[in-house]
Amino acid sequence: MAKIIMGIESSCDETGVGLVAAHDDGTVELLADEVASSVEQHARFGGVVPEIASRAHLEAMVPTTHRAFDAAGLSMSDVDAVAVTAGPGLAGALLVGVSAAKAYAAALDVPLYGVNHLAGHIAVDTLQHGPLPTPCLALLVSGGHTQLLRVDDIAGAITEIGSTVDDAAGEAYDKVARLLDLPYPGGPPIDKAARDGDPQAIAFPRGMTGPRDAKFDFSFSGLKTAVARWVEGAQGRGEEVPVADVAASFQEAVADVLTAKAVRAATEAGVGTLVVSGGVAANSRLSTLARERCAEAGIELRIPRPRLCTDNGAMIAALGAHVAAAGHKPSSLDLSANPGLPVDTVLV
Amino acid sequence: MTIELTTADDAIRFGRSLGMSLRAGDLVLLAGPLGAGKTTMTRGIADGMGVSGRVSSPTFVLARVHSAPDGGVALVHVDAYRLGGDLSELDDLDLDAELEQSAVVVEWGEGLAEPLSEDRLVVRIERHADDTRTVSFEPHGTWKARVDTLP
Repeated sequence: MAKIIMGIESSCDETGVGLVAAHDDGTVELLADEVASSVEQHARFGGVVPEIASRAHLEAMVPTTHRAFDAAGLSMSDVDAVAVTAGPGLAGALLVGVSAAKAYAAALDVPLYGVNHLAGHIAVDTLQHGPLPTPCLALLVSGGHTQLLRVDDIAGAITEIGSTVDDAAGEAYDKVARLLDLPYPGGPPIDKAARDGDPQAIAFPRGMTGPRDAKFDFSFSGLKTAVARWVEGAQGRGEEVPVADVAASFQEAVADVLTAKAVRAATEAGVGTLVVSGGVAANSRLSTLARERCAEAGIELRIPRPRLCTDNGAMIAALGAHVAAAGHKPSSLDLSANPGLPVDTVLV
Repeated sequence: MTIELTTADDAIRFGRSLGMSLRAGDLVLLAGPLGAGKTTMTRGIADGMGVSGRVSSPTFVLARVHSAPDGGVALVHVDAYRLGGDLSELDDLDLDAELEQSAVVVEWGEGLAEPLSEDRLVVRIERHADDTRTVSFEPHGTWKARVDTLP
């Protein structure tokens, strides 16, 4: 009999509640994925206010939960386990999800699993593409994270192979968007502007690709500075900034380094599958280049659809399903949020 | 007083000596355009303070606490870039850190974070076309007397 797992996510701007069915054959089926975002509320204040993020989660938690159960046609008594993001993320935001999850788990008398947000971004792929072949490699790219991870067991064994030493890839997008007078968040508008541009127009630097640099770490701060200098130079000469060319050349530099390092890491480790996930995975140039390079290297590429790549509760439910199926001991009701939870801690 | 920085290593070296002179309750506001080297300088500050953890841009998480292994002064690294509204108390960031036991370094904090501490040093980084930087200072509180001790 399938087990119903409820997943709660509240690490940043999105309040997500997901429901999945964990089947006996190891497959996990998506039943509901409801998300409320506080991005618009932040926009009104011209930026993120941690207090407002926490309050927005608090206000959205119960309605989002009800929407998820309605969408799945289930009632709360159908739930067999509750999973929640324990970290990493904003402390106050995480706390709302963790408190709600504890309350549901206690009231329903079902096990509680406090899990890692980053592992959730990988686990979500099983909802679309079925069980993960292991070992596999995961490239996690979002506004706050840029990491290359080796996954030996999605329910417990995840190792960091590399990460950004400065800015996350998504953050570089946001900052370059600001330089080009494009809206926030910067990913979609840069992707759109780049379509009409020449990716070879400007040779922006590829960070951390020198012979002495850490092979699988990333750096996007120098790239951001190079774009700033280039734009200032053009403005200084009284020229109109060719936004499409700058966007395309910048995007090419990001996608080039991300995919080159990911494919190289997979090849060196002899791993046959690469999962690309996180908000930036929706970027068209990144997915195109990843597809080309994985095909050349004979690596299977899995990219969840954009809706699953951004923060949501279904990814936490999916991870909860894998952790429960692996027979791991549930978290205690004393579970606390850990803003700096390391990626190798899948279950708290 | 101004300081010229030619390379990123210079920025780290300057940050390190600034970090060594930081005390609990200090506030450093790092000002300068995108790519000025604020995060790079903070990496030096963390090194000078001897705190743990990799310093990377906290833009997305807003702030990161680097604790001192020996229970000494912690570094709170804040990025106000995405922050709306002002920052009058450290509590506004929902951090597990007390100003009395930490030094706070804020990027993009001018006009927002001043209320945090009287003892604040504004470090202004100007990036030139040849990629060198000029650093200038605006000291407040005890920093008026302490700024001359910087290298």
